[in-house]
Amino acid sequence: MRSGLAVAVIALSAGAPDADTILQRVYDNYRSASSQASVSMTVHRPEWERHLDMKTWTRGEEDALVRFVAPPKDAGNATLKLGRDTWVFNPKLNQVIKLPASMLGQSWMGSDFSYDDLSKSESIITQYTHRLLATEQIGANTVWTVEAIPKPGAPVVWGKVTLKIRDDDVVTEETFFDQDQNPARRLQTDRIGTLGGRTYPVVMTMQPLDAPGQWTRIETGEARFDLPVPEYLFTLSNLQNPRQ
Amino acid sequence: MLAALAWRNLWRRQQRTWLSLLSIALVTALLVFMLSFQLGVYATMKQSTLRLFDGYAQFQPVGYAEDPGLDRSIADPGRLTEDALGIAGVTVAAPRVNAFAILTSGGRSYGAAVVGVDPAREARVSSIAATIRSGRYLTPEDDDAAVLGDVLARDLRLAVGGTVTVLGAAGDGSVAADVLRVAGIYHSGVPELDRTILEMPLARAQDAFAMTGRASTVALGGTSLGAVDAALPALDAIGKRHGVALLDWTALEPAMHDVITLKYATSMLFYLTLVAVVAFIILNTLLMSVLERTREFGILLAIGMKPHQVGLLVWLELLALGVLGCAIGLAFGAGITLWFEVHGIPYPGLDEILAQFGLPPRLYPMLSPFTALIGPAALLLAIAIGGVAPYLRVARLTAAAAMRAA
Repeated sequence: MRSGLAVAVIALSAGAPDADTILQRVYDNYRSASSQASVSMTVHRPEWERHLDMKTWTRGEEDALVRFVAPPKDAGNATLKLGRDTWVFNPKLNQVIKLPASMLGQSWMGSDFSYDDLSKSESIITQYTHRLLATEQIGANTVWTVEAIPKPGAPVVWGKVTLKIRDDDVVTEETFFDQDQNPARRLQTDRIGTLGGRTYPVVMTMQPLDAPGQWTRIETGEARFDLPVPEYLFTLSNLQNPRQ
Repeated sequence: MLAALAWRNLWRRQQRTWLSLLSIALVTALLVFMLSFQLGVYATMKQSTLRLFDGYAQFQPVGYAEDPGLDRSIADPGRLTEDALGIAGVTVAAPRVNAFAILTSGGRSYGAAVVGVDPAREARVSSIAATIRSGRYLTPEDDDAAVLGDVLARDLRLAVGGTVTVLGAAGDGSVAADVLRVAGIYHSGVPELDRTILEMPLARAQDAFAMTGRASTVALGGTSLGAVDAALPALDAIGKRHGVALLDWTALEPAMHDVITLKYATSMLFYLTLVAVVAFIILNTLLMSVLERTREFGILLAIGMKPHQVGLLVWLELLALGVLGCAIGLAFGAGITLWFEVHGIPYPGLDEILAQFGLPPRLYPMLSPFTALIGPAALLLAIAIGGVAPYLRVARLTAAAAMRAA
C-alpha cells in the first residue's frame, strides 16, 4: 500500500517535476569543481556609467577570487572569498583587508551586487522551502516559477525569493523580497548561451527595485569549467602579490 | 464713575480682596516661571543636540535625507556657503563630504561614516572639536590626519598617532582608499557619534571619494537656534536658487521634535487646568460677594442705576482684581525667572552630561515676551469670560425684589 503510494508520487513528478527537483537540477548545472572566466561589468547610474573588466576563479562552491584588470583606475583591486571569509586587496593601499561579516551585504566595487553575491552558495537549496507556483510555455521551453521561503530561523537576509527557471536548468529571473515581502531587487538573465560546454546565463542584469535608472550588468566573455586550478591562487599572499 | 466705584468696592473687604489677589498672583507667577523654565530646558536640549553634529540647519542635495549617498552632492558648496553667510543670524556654514567606508587597523575592520570637514568652520558648527579626549582636533594645515570617536578607536585598538586605513566606494563608483594618521580621539557622550564617525580634512576626502569641488551637505551655525530659525525663509530662497534642500532642526532631529511637541502639549493641558481652577475660585468668591450685596444693588437700582450698569460694576470689580493680581504675579514671576536666568538652577546628576556638550552644569529658564505674557493673558481671559455669570445674575435684578431679599 505504502509502496504503491510512493510509485504514484514518482509517476506524478515525472510529468511535472517538483520545486525541489527543479532547483537541485539548476544547482547541479552551475556546480563545478572549479571555474575560470573573463567577465565584464557595467555599473549604470543616472549620472554615469562605468565598465570594468575582471578575471574570476572559483574552487568548489564557496571559494572565489576576482581580480580587476581594467580600467587602469580599478585594475589591481581584488576580492578573495574563502568559505565565509572575505578579503579585499587595494593596490593604492597595497594592503589586504578582511571584511567584517556585517559588511558583506554592502555594495561590491560600487555595483548593485554585494560581497555576499560573489559565491553562488547552495543556501537557496538548503535554507529555503520551495513551492512550484506556475508552469508556462515560452517558445520551445517550459518555464517554471518557483517560490522559495526561508526556513524558520534560517540565517538569510531575504524574506522570499522567486525564481523563473527554464527547462534547460537556467534561471532566467530571480526576484529577492525583503522581510516585509516587498520586492527589493531583481536579477534578470538577458542572454543564455553556451559557455565551456554548458548552458549558461551569459548576460545578467541586477536591478535594485527601489532605485530606478540604476543597474549592474555582468557579461561572461569566456569561461572554462572543471580545469585544475593551482592551490596558491586562493591564498592571501597571492591576493596581495599575484604570481601571474 | 463705574470704575471708581468698582475700585472702592474692592477695598471694602480688604481681607477677601488680598486673598483673591494672592491666589491670582501666585498662579500667574508659577505659570510665568514654569513656562520659562520649560522652554529654557527645551532650548538647551535643542541647542546642545544640534551643536553636537547636525548644526542649526543644513543644506542637502534634494532627496539626500531619504537616500544619502555620494551620487547626490552639492555642486558648488563654495558659492552656497558664501550666500548663506550673507544672511543675518548665520555665522558659519561648514561644507562636508559624508561617505561610508570600512576602517581597518591591524587586522580589525569596522564600517564607519567618514566625514570630510573644513576644520576651522567645523569647530564652530559642531562641538566634537570641544570633546577631544586625547590628541587634538584637526587643523587647517592637516592633510592625512583624522579624528574619531573613542568607541570606534577602542574597537579598532587605535590610539593617537596610529594609522587607520579607509576603504570605500567613491562618488564615481571607483574604489576610494586612503591611509590616515589619528590626530585626536573625541568623546561626545553620544554613542551613535562616538561609534560611527571619523572626521578627516575636507580636501583630502574630496580627493579620495572623487568629490573634488563638491560637498554632501553644508551645516549651518548661528548666534542662536532662534536666529537661524528666523533666517530660514531667506536660506530657503538661497537653497532654491542653488537647487538644494534646506532642512531645519525639526527635519534634522525629528525624534527630538516629536518629544518636545508631546511634552509641550501635555504641560499645556496642566497649565490650562491650573488657570481654570483659579478662575473658578475667584468667581466663586465674587459670586458670594454678589449674594451678600443683593440689597445694596437693590438700592443702587432704586436710586436710578440701570441693571446693566450694576452688572458692569460687578464685572469691573472682577476685572480689576484680575489685572492687579496678574500684574503682581507677572512682576514676581518675571523677577524670580530673571534671577534664575542669571544664576541657573543646579540639577544634580546632570552636570556630567551637560559638561559633555560644553554647557555649565545648570539649567536656565528663558524669559521671553511669550512665556511672560501667555499665562497672565490666559488667566485674565478666563476670569473676564467667567465674569459674565455674575453679570447676568445682577443684570436680572429688580429694585423692589432685590431690596426685599434676605
